[in-house]
Amino acid sequence: MNSFLSAIGIKNIHISSRQIIILNVFVITSCVCFLIASVTGSINVSIGNLIRGDISELTRIVLIEIRLPRVILAALVGASLGISGAALQGLFRNPLADPGLIGVSAGAALGATLVIVLGSSISSGLFLGSFLLPLGAISGAMLVIMMLYLLTKGFGYQGVTYMLLVGIAVNAIAGVGIGILTFISTDSELRGLTFWTMGSFGGVTWPLLIPAIVIIIISISSMMTVSRNLDLIQLGEPEAYRLGVDVKKLKYKIIISCAAAVGASVSLSGMIGFVGLVVPHLVRLFGGVNHNYLLPGSAFVGAALMITADMLSRTIIQPAELPVGLITSAIGSPFFLWLIFRIKRS
Amino acid sequence: MSVRCESIDINLNKREILKNISIEVNEKEILSIIGPNGAGKSTLLKSLAGDINPISGNIFYDEKNINQIDIQERAFTRSVMSQLQPIAFDFSVKEIVEMGWVDRGESEYADQFDDAVNEVIRKCGVKDLIDRNFNTLSGGEQRRIHFARTLLQLWRPSNSNDPKYLFLDEPTANLDLTYEIKLLNIVKEVAQEGAGVMLVLHDLNLAAKFSDKVAILKGGSLIDIGLPKDVLKSTLLSEIYEIDVEVKNDPLLITYY
Repeated sequence: MNSFLSAIGIKNIHISSRQIIILNVFVITSCVCFLIASVTGSINVSIGNLIRGDISELTRIVLIEIRLPRVILAALVGASLGISGAALQGLFRNPLADPGLIGVSAGAALGATLVIVLGSSISSGLFLGSFLLPLGAISGAMLVIMMLYLLTKGFGYQGVTYMLLVGIAVNAIAGVGIGILTFISTDSELRGLTFWTMGSFGGVTWPLLIPAIVIIIISISSMMTVSRNLDLIQLGEPEAYRLGVDVKKLKYKIIISCAAAVGASVSLSGMIGFVGLVVPHLVRLFGGVNHNYLLPGSAFVGAALMITADMLSRTIIQPAELPVGLITSAIGSPFFLWLIFRIKRS
Repeated sequence: MSVRCESIDINLNKREILKNISIEVNEKEILSIIGPNGAGKSTLLKSLAGDINPISGNIFYDEKNINQIDIQERAFTRSVMSQLQPIAFDFSVKEIVEMGWVDRGESEYADQFDDAVNEVIRKCGVKDLIDRNFNTLSGGEQRRIHFARTLLQLWRPSNSNDPKYLFLDEPTANLDLTYEIKLLNIVKEVAQEGAGVMLVLHDLNLAAKFSDKVAILKGGSLIDIGLPKDVLKSTLLSEIYEIDVEVKNDPLLITYY
């Protein structure tokens, strides 16, 4: 595989042949999950009929206007939470960093709820939904990461305890903020707010989705360009600097990309816990820890996991729907405990 | 070709660490810095490596002020091994060694990546460790791997005349006698191949055996610099370390009491 890549001009990508094969398996798995989730739900469609184009007008509308945006959103949110978790763990040099645990998602949710309750008076509906909401969420996420940066003395390795404590504090502050906003919100705003704490992909439409697609794809691409530098920073900041890494630039790039990806995701799906924590560890278990493999791997596994969790959420108790955050937390919290025991042992 | 500092002063946390130091490391030369704890040895090494900016004075790489050399170019020119930090994730030993590869974007270098890695692994004698998890190695083994990584950063094709400098802060810490000597023999080989080397050492006999020049630091000041046999004198060493030191010549042997 490496000789093939070499032949087409891609050299020294610092990724093994085995990891390339595993990445291909992840890509195929997420495509299969995407296909199955697209045809499964309250209206089931056979893949054969779909390929032949033998579907009714109603089914076509359900697929294109409701199911497809929902599955795409689940994939994007899973990918952005997965890759952001991997990038933040790399930057913090800490296996417990997760956008949910350290309060980044909560900051984004608070930013978004502020926009919903206070912003409706200053802008029209479409503009609010498409741009102001993600912007509020991104600002909230970025504020939290900057606060973490200051309190952990530049994301130093010693900052583990601080980081988790700040996460607890931020989650609590966001809870209070969302609580107050819930209290002062109108009935229609309240319905919009309830899903922030549990997460859902329902109700997404193409006009809401397209800005998020743009933001998330740009953020993920930006993180991918610094994957090698994330490896080097594991040696410590001075060593990375000596190896030619502009450490300050790397930090800002990761902070802004993660805040944008998580903020855009949270603005459309609410807070979905544990994905950013679980996914990078799963990917490491399969094939290794280097970021050239870990970042794309986390994006694809995150997408596959989230598509599956969403499919389960809307099919387990049909016609009702479980909040998707409930499913990810049910998988993630035991994993988190296992991880703590493992870290304690080592 | 040399790395040179001229009258540098360094303050850290409002404390004066180095005072008016001028020193030069030439190509094909090993300069060892010795002195008691807190003398400013590591700070001097870090400032010459470009990690710390002096408050006054200048540092030159081949007559070019270090401030005019960008981070990437510095990474091509010098490599540094100092106090190491724990690594949070389970990288393989090979991955850690390969982190020393600085991509120059020239195919002449890129094509020889595998050869360079293999050469460094062979030279450092770490082939038997290469597939292991780095975090399961002992402190001494980890140090040998970091040394291999540091050498990979300085690797050049055999026809290259680009200058290269190696800065090692206590490279023999945690190493047993065998690897202590092996590592310093490799350092000597690297110097003979054209590198300028600066070492911070605590063992005066190793400094005497492997250095072309020795510099003694105390309280942030340069006390003396010159050939080992001229600098390592019992009176001066007794005064610096505040213990009785006996020095025998041919071969140079230092005994402390």
